[in-house]
Amino acid sequence: MKTQFSRRGALSRLGGAIAGLLTLSAARAAKAAVQKVFVASGAPKDYDPTKHKWLMCIDVNRCIGCGLCVEACKKENGVPEGPYFRTWIERYVIPKPEPGSGQTRGETLVDSPNGGMHGFPPTPVPKDQIEHSFFVPKLCNLCEHSPCVQVCPVGATFDAPDGAVLIDPKYCIGCGFCIQACPYGCRFLSPVTKTAEKCTLCYHRITRGLKPACVEICPTQARIFGDLKNAGPDDPVRKFYENNRVSVLKPHLGTEPRVLYAGLDKEVR
Amino acid sequence: MRRFNLPPQILRLVLLTLAIVGSYLIARVFLTPASFGEFGWYRGEALVELRSRPPVYAGKQACDECHSDQLQKLAKFEHQTLSCEACHGVSREHAENPDILPVKLTGSHCIRCHEANPSRPKWFKQIVVRDHYGGKCTECHVPHQPNQTP
Amino acid sequence: MTNEMTNIVVEVLPRFEGYVYPNEASLHPLWGFLIVLYPYITGLVAGAFIMASLVRVFKVRALEPVYRLSLLTSFSFLLCATLPLLFHLGHPERCFEIMMTPHLTSPMAIFGFVYAWYLMAVLLLELWFDYRQDLVEWAKITPGFKGIIYRAFTVGVTDESHEALALDAKMGRILSVVGIPSAFLLHGYVGFIFGSIKANPWWGNGLTPIIFILSAIVSGIALCVFNYMVLTWIRRHTVDMRCLDTMAMFLFYALVVDAAVEGLDWLHRGFAAEEGFSVMQIMIREKLFYTLNLGQVTIGTLLPLLLLGALQLLRRRVPELVRRRMIFGSSAMILIGVLAMRWNVVIGGQLFSKSLRGVMGYKLEFTGVEGWLMGVVLLSLPFIILTVLVKLFLSEQLPSGGHTPRDSAAGEG
Repeated sequence: MKTQFSRRGALSRLGGAIAGLLTLSAARAAKAAVQKVFVASGAPKDYDPTKHKWLMCIDVNRCIGCGLCVEACKKENGVPEGPYFRTWIERYVIPKPEPGSGQTRGETLVDSPNGGMHGFPPTPVPKDQIEHSFFVPKLCNLCEHSPCVQVCPVGATFDAPDGAVLIDPKYCIGCGFCIQACPYGCRFLSPVTKTAEKCTLCYHRITRGLKPACVEICPTQARIFGDLKNAGPDDPVRKFYENNRVSVLKPHLGTEPRVLYAGLDKEVR
Repeated sequence: MRRFNLPPQILRLVLLTLAIVGSYLIARVFLTPASFGEFGWYRGEALVELRSRPPVYAGKQACDECHSDQLQKLAKFEHQTLSCEACHGVSREHAENPDILPVKLTGSHCIRCHEANPSRPKWFKQIVVRDHYGGKCTECHVPHQPNQTP
Repeated sequence: MTNEMTNIVVEVLPRFEGYVYPNEASLHPLWGFLIVLYPYITGLVAGAFIMASLVRVFKVRALEPVYRLSLLTSFSFLLCATLPLLFHLGHPERCFEIMMTPHLTSPMAIFGFVYAWYLMAVLLLELWFDYRQDLVEWAKITPGFKGIIYRAFTVGVTDESHEALALDAKMGRILSVVGIPSAFLLHGYVGFIFGSIKANPWWGNGLTPIIFILSAIVSGIALCVFNYMVLTWIRRHTVDMRCLDTMAMFLFYALVVDAAVEGLDWLHRGFAAEEGFSVMQIMIREKLFYTLNLGQVTIGTLLPLLLLGALQLLRRRVPELVRRRMIFGSSAMILIGVLAMRWNVVIGGQLFSKSLRGVMGYKLEFTGVEGWLMGVVLLSLPFIILTVLVKLFLSEQLPSGGHTPRDSAAGEG
């Protein structure tokens, strides 16, 4: 039976496909020209991300739990009100063991009322029953092998060349995969922008030679910030990692977090 | 076209596939942002956009421009590690226009850090405010030189 | 872990016990009911396709009456599969980015391509090759709009010669073989999305993708049983008992394998008792009590195993009507049970904190994008589409080459 298939039809379709492919290069050039017009400006233009490697370190022995950092971060970055924190403070209260129980410590109690933003209420356990108690500031751990970057399906979150882990709010589709993948709970979905958000190390500040807001405001220098590629011998970050035995959070997960903690306890997750 | 000796189903399907794949590739050219892939699997432009947000806090350096005498006094004593804005609040507007004054301070600023709390480290000076003259801090302490009396 | 201290994160929230990270203290989990539905729907797609491939690839002749229905079921559910995802995205208008700049380290990035491949290269093609000859015939005898649809679907290829039909049969077989790993990929990548998250001990596990696929096969077969029985009941036909008994047999053995692997997962968790085990135990006992013990285990696994297992042992002694009731009941229970399983995995993974110190509760709302109502609508939609497809392509008025898939040995124009 003769097919209804015609030579002319096939040729014209094939020709159309080839013409389409040929216009690709012309289209690409046109697109680039158009998009150049919309390139964002107003940012410090002389900043080269490949020449810096930022790091924040935390000295738990110095944190007094005042919560000024949490407040400063919210103000600096316009973080929405509510359970959305780019950084927060956790309080660990480790009571003394029950006498005769044969334990070294009682059951650890952890809290973070509103991220610690307005300080902390009195401890739930009276002072004489506390064995250890301390505050742990938390933030993005700047992982070497960030699981959040690994799982982003579109390339909206990324490791910047200078060590920050950033989110492109114009490209993020709001799927939430990165938020699920972060073991440290440092990401959230902004109810305002409907994209993922997290600590950016105050990228807009550090690229202008300022310090992140939390580091700026911390009264006791519990947060230490510096540039590993430009650290002189008196640089606080250098002194921190040279003089302290440090630990990281959840090392067993293989994320290689770069944020170093001094003074952690085994109870800290 | 029997010249290719392809059965009609296959030929139609091959052409359809070419059309679909072709339109996908063309769409990809138009819908991929220009700066994508510059530094990695992301829009290079994003680095520029993220940098261009205006800072909110002025920073201690900015205060130094006009208040260097205060900062020099501060640097000699225990509060040297504090940034001005930790107590005086966001002062960017004041830095740009000194007529706009920063927030007036009250004793609550002192209490926030210095209220005794078993979770605070032992080296940190803390007082039980109730037992320590009830919070009128500035009667006995100068905020910038905390161990001096006014 | 004592519960003395409530976590005063935002006001006093009784739904939290212990400590949760401040970013986790939201009213509802990030991945809600919509994300429960998505693996459910793609699982049904994959499972229904496996049912169809039993006929083509494994030559189970007894299942021929249900072959086309299985493919149409798979197709109608596939058409709705993207909807839960689109509604869930923070920026659905940017959804095309996943195909323009897919980040190849992310399992989610494969979605657009796997979906497009499975839809076009597997399902539509297999349907086309099976239906092509009938479409040509129907296009000739059907007037009006329906006739235009049939003609459009022939894509202009109206050759009904012996070689063309033999090619149709051969292509159909090849596509069925290709389709099995494609179906596994379509649903397996979803399991891998969860299985790859090492941050969450409930999800991040090598068995997760396998359990997803196995329960998908079980749910797909159950759906085909369900649809077949409903369709024959609507049309007042008699059920082909040989077909139904065979389906029930496959359903039973698939369920046995699925239950075994899920049981292995439980066994391993309990035996190894890794760090998050105690908080997960509390979460299961308190937050997943009904959906797990009642929904997934009892209704979804134990009762169907009993009923279907009894049928395997006692088939001849059980009268036909009772057998039909038992099989229908089992398939309905399995469909509910697999939905409960998806809930337990997706929601369960978000009901405990990554600090491993706290648990949260979740009450499904009625309205809203992530509510009950939306779920009912999204689950009804495929059935509505299937009704239309059945009217068009499984019509009793139109002659067809039977439900027999054409085989090059027995094929006849």
